[in-house]
Amino acid sequence: MAGRWQWFHRLGSPKWFYEKTTRWLPWLWGAMALFLTVGLLWALLFLPEDYQQGHTSRILVVHVAVAGTSLSFFPLMAVAGTVTLVWRMKLADMVAKNAAPLGAWFSFLTLATGSIWGSVSWGTWWEWTDSRLVSMLFQFFLLLGVISLRAAIENAETAARACALLSIVGCINVVVIKYSVDWWNTLHQPSSPISMEVGSPNGPEFWVATVVMIVAVYLFLAVSLILATRNEILQRESRAQWVRELALEAG
Amino acid sequence: MSGTNIGTAFLATLKRDLLISLKRRNDILNPFMFFIIVVSLFPIGVSPESAMLRQIAAGVIWIAALLASMLSMDSLYRSDYEDGTLEQLLLSSAPLYLLVFAKNIAHWLVSGLPVILVSPLLAYMLALPSEGYMTLVASLLLGTPVVGMLGSIAVALTVGLGSRGLILAVITVPMSVPVLIFGTLAVQNTLAGGSPLGYLALLGAMLALTISLAPVATAAALRISMN
Repeated sequence: MAGRWQWFHRLGSPKWFYEKTTRWLPWLWGAMALFLTVGLLWALLFLPEDYQQGHTSRILVVHVAVAGTSLSFFPLMAVAGTVTLVWRMKLADMVAKNAAPLGAWFSFLTLATGSIWGSVSWGTWWEWTDSRLVSMLFQFFLLLGVISLRAAIENAETAARACALLSIVGCINVVVIKYSVDWWNTLHQPSSPISMEVGSPNGPEFWVATVVMIVAVYLFLAVSLILATRNEILQRESRAQWVRELALEAG
Repeated sequence: MSGTNIGTAFLATLKRDLLISLKRRNDILNPFMFFIIVVSLFPIGVSPESAMLRQIAAGVIWIAALLASMLSMDSLYRSDYEDGTLEQLLLSSAPLYLLVFAKNIAHWLVSGLPVILVSPLLAYMLALPSEGYMTLVASLLLGTPVVGMLGSIAVALTVGLGSRGLILAVITVPMSVPVLIFGTLAVQNTLAGGSPLGYLALLGAMLALTISLAPVATAAALRISMN
């Protein structure tokens, strides 16, 4: 039993995480740079023009990738929150704390890139009848709620557990909101003027570019989250021996 | 702890909260008046024409009910927190989620029910066709407790904090979206000649889900806030 769960408890140690990620980060940076370059160059230079949308379809490559990634924040925070509440693992909270602003930023980027694309393709910056826009907006609000709750509670441990609970409740809610908004819209309007789904009108070249971009954005998410968490570790553990030694080494 | 004692604790909490509310009339009157005032602003701000009002009536009443519920929620655990009652509830041997549920019921009876009772009158003033009244009242009866119990989680998370008005709104509003959608759809569907039963059933399902989960989450939130 002890052996099987050892990795889990080690994972909870900020020091272990810091040391491991020091080794992982160059690889992650490299992979991210590779995928981002390939994805962006492909989307901007080599992707053929869409017969209906022209050059604007290139925005979708970025938009779909960012949107897909931004959907993973609430599940991530809910899992981290469960670990915080059940095992009181400090590291999980450090990840969750930094995931919330990142998630809000990704949701905002999704809305922004979607609006820019929509302004050309739909002729409007905002469309209430598109359920994805609406549910993303409310996910954005909920993430702002998590951030402001964290900011309002002074005691760090109370804030951690309160935000953990809110993330779990919020995760369930985001799913319910998503489906109810979908339902609401299918009743008001059977389909959007132009489907945002990566579907048949777009050939495999579009698909592959999008998948490359999704991997790139996920790597970007991983790198940003790891960097932010490492920063958090150094701040919270600033009194620990190993952090002091690290600071001395760095000068 | 025997079953009767748990029942006694539940009823005692319910009775106590109702008594306190009856003695502080503002708790009852404020959300009620707020609801009426908000609704009466719409004809002035949007359009006084009944053709327009008829279309927005259900949505306006639902939104005003949500806002009124949010306004009243702020006081849900505050006085209990300030006078130490909340700590006693946490120390009680009766399960906390049950006591929380009793408080939620009391709060809804005091702040939600009056709003629902006056809603047909306001629906009439907003020119809602009379066949929509029953559906509106039924949807509010099923939906407002959901909003109240979800809000109760947010209030419990922020119970010790000084300024929390906006946090409460930012957390509660997105959570109320599904209820608002199905509540207004039920009324609109009735007016269009359809049956509202499907939407009311969905609201009922949400109510059942919320009753089973929200008090547990609120109890956990209270324990976190009170450390």
